[in-house]
Amino acid sequence: MSEDGSAFLELDGITKKFGSFTAVRDISLKIREGEFFTLVGPSGSGKTTMIRMLVGMERPTGGEMRLQGKVLNDVPANKRPTCMVFQSLALFPHKSVGENIEFSLKIAGVDPIRRRRRAEELLAQLRLPVEYYDKGVNQCSGGERQRIALARALAFDPQILFFDEPLSALDFRLRKTLEKELKDIHKETGKTFVYITHSLEEAMVMSDRIAIMRDGGIVQVGSPQEIYNRPVNKFVAQFMGEVNTIAVEKASARTVRATADGSTFQVPGMPAGFETGFLIIRPEVMKIGKAAEKLKNKVKGVVFNDYALGSRIQYQVRSDARDEHWLVERLQDDPYEGHVDDKVTIGWQPADSILVSE
Amino acid sequence: MSASQSSRTTRSLIVIWTVTVIAFLYIPMVAVALASFSKQRYFRFPISRWTTEWYTKTFESLSVRDLLWTSLSVAALVTVFSVLLAFFGALAFARYDWKGRKLYQRLVLLPIFFPQAVLGLALLLWFSVLDVTTSWQTAVFAHMIWIVPIVILIMSIQVYSFDPALEEAAFDLGATRWQVLREVTLPILSPGIISGGTFAFLLSWGNFPLSLFTTGADQTVPEWLYAKMVSGYTPMVPTLGTLTMSGAAILILVIYLVWMALGARRRARMATNDE
Repeated sequence: MSEDGSAFLELDGITKKFGSFTAVRDISLKIREGEFFTLVGPSGSGKTTMIRMLVGMERPTGGEMRLQGKVLNDVPANKRPTCMVFQSLALFPHKSVGENIEFSLKIAGVDPIRRRRRAEELLAQLRLPVEYYDKGVNQCSGGERQRIALARALAFDPQILFFDEPLSALDFRLRKTLEKELKDIHKETGKTFVYITHSLEEAMVMSDRIAIMRDGGIVQVGSPQEIYNRPVNKFVAQFMGEVNTIAVEKASARTVRATADGSTFQVPGMPAGFETGFLIIRPEVMKIGKAAEKLKNKVKGVVFNDYALGSRIQYQVRSDARDEHWLVERLQDDPYEGHVDDKVTIGWQPADSILVSE
Repeated sequence: MSASQSSRTTRSLIVIWTVTVIAFLYIPMVAVALASFSKQRYFRFPISRWTTEWYTKTFESLSVRDLLWTSLSVAALVTVFSVLLAFFGALAFARYDWKGRKLYQRLVLLPIFFPQAVLGLALLLWFSVLDVTTSWQTAVFAHMIWIVPIVILIMSIQVYSFDPALEEAAFDLGATRWQVLREVTLPILSPGIISGGTFAFLLSWGNFPLSLFTTGADQTVPEWLYAKMVSGYTPMVPTLGTLTMSGAAILILVIYLVWMALGARRRARMATNDE
């Protein structure tokens, strides 16, 4: 069990059933001290139930969770040394920014002067003006409210800080800024952060490790690089964003055959016992036009559409090897000058493709 | 041109409408107030001779003092008990999801629609079967049957807009259940509690049909007004009517002003800005 002795938070077969419905099934995880760990999954994957159990709002129906070896299952939320930033933030609307931040200190019986000093430290740490101490929380902007919620949680001095998709309601640019700020705060405080989100992209930016959830179970755990470069199945690969997925079957020790039209492709390696599965190629490693001619794997097709994506251009190419369009991306300054309805060759290096069996 | 013409027509129609509604609402009350200042024993218009002697008589009357004290005791107790019961009733009504909530929501509101006179009579019969002597205390019980559901309804409006995550957040930050109630739930629900309490007091203060059957030998202000109008009219009737109406208006005004003073800072914070 313990291939890694440094587990800080350890989940052992955690299961949660609501009547006959299993929201979380048999999850075992080890989260290290000081780690930024993210649970990613689509809605209904059980991630919200999981974090509610971790915080103490729900009780697991099976398994055990341990924080530094101490069993947490029956400890209520207000007795756990952990704290959560809520999706709605749940800032107290009748209290000022300062009163919100020092709430846990007031509960703990800290005297008002020391409370205020700590709240002001936290305001400074989160780059909020000290005058905000007396401001109403509803008078603050979305980004400021995020920081206040984080300050309130940090004031509690939790051993683990949980986050329930707090950034999901914000617009794109603000979200990007706050993702980076959160990562900085993580570094500054050295605390263990456990974050849940439905956006793998968001998880990639911030996390040390990511666990991908689906239907109440964990599909893959790994660093952002591992998840990106070696997705274990089609689900994880597609969760990353747009990818080319070709249904294939084994043809020889080094090649696979597309089930749609029988064309064969070289693969980087054949997993033991592989029979049928999917070949996955990211749009950004695909080549188009002259650059594709000399590659080992190529397909002939017709340009169906093109999109400007800022720094890149994306082409949709139609061929017989798959039912869906191929997606090919190239940088704006690459030599290919393609047009819709052009007959083109597209291709990729075998090493840039990933073969998965489900 | 024609647009501004039509907007002027609309505006004058709105003014006429508003004045009509206000007149419709206030003319009866003004008439009662005028009657209390008339020298004649029976009210006739226009008033030829004015006096304040009925006010002096009313203030000096010991029976009026008894009436006010009875009405006040009933209304005060009804307010306290209704707010207590309705607070938890409203939480069950709107905050928590539980099996049978739909049925509870319907059952709890039913007494509002039950004719009060019939309810009063039914209670009187029950009290006599159970051998309970009716007095102002039994009226407290009777009023509550009708008023608690109304207060639950008023408070539920506030409870519906309450985000349960606020309680969870407080609990997560180490607060006990009691601290969550004191620090988060009660302060946020307090506007609902205050308006619920005000309604409870005023509805009890002005209630006639339930009091008629359930106060026994005791008498509340509305009962006395009715009795005097039926037999033995005196200008003290419009006088006491005017006084209690003014009292109610002052009560609401005071609650409003205190609330404004206490909550000015807080409300300034709670007001959302549109950034």
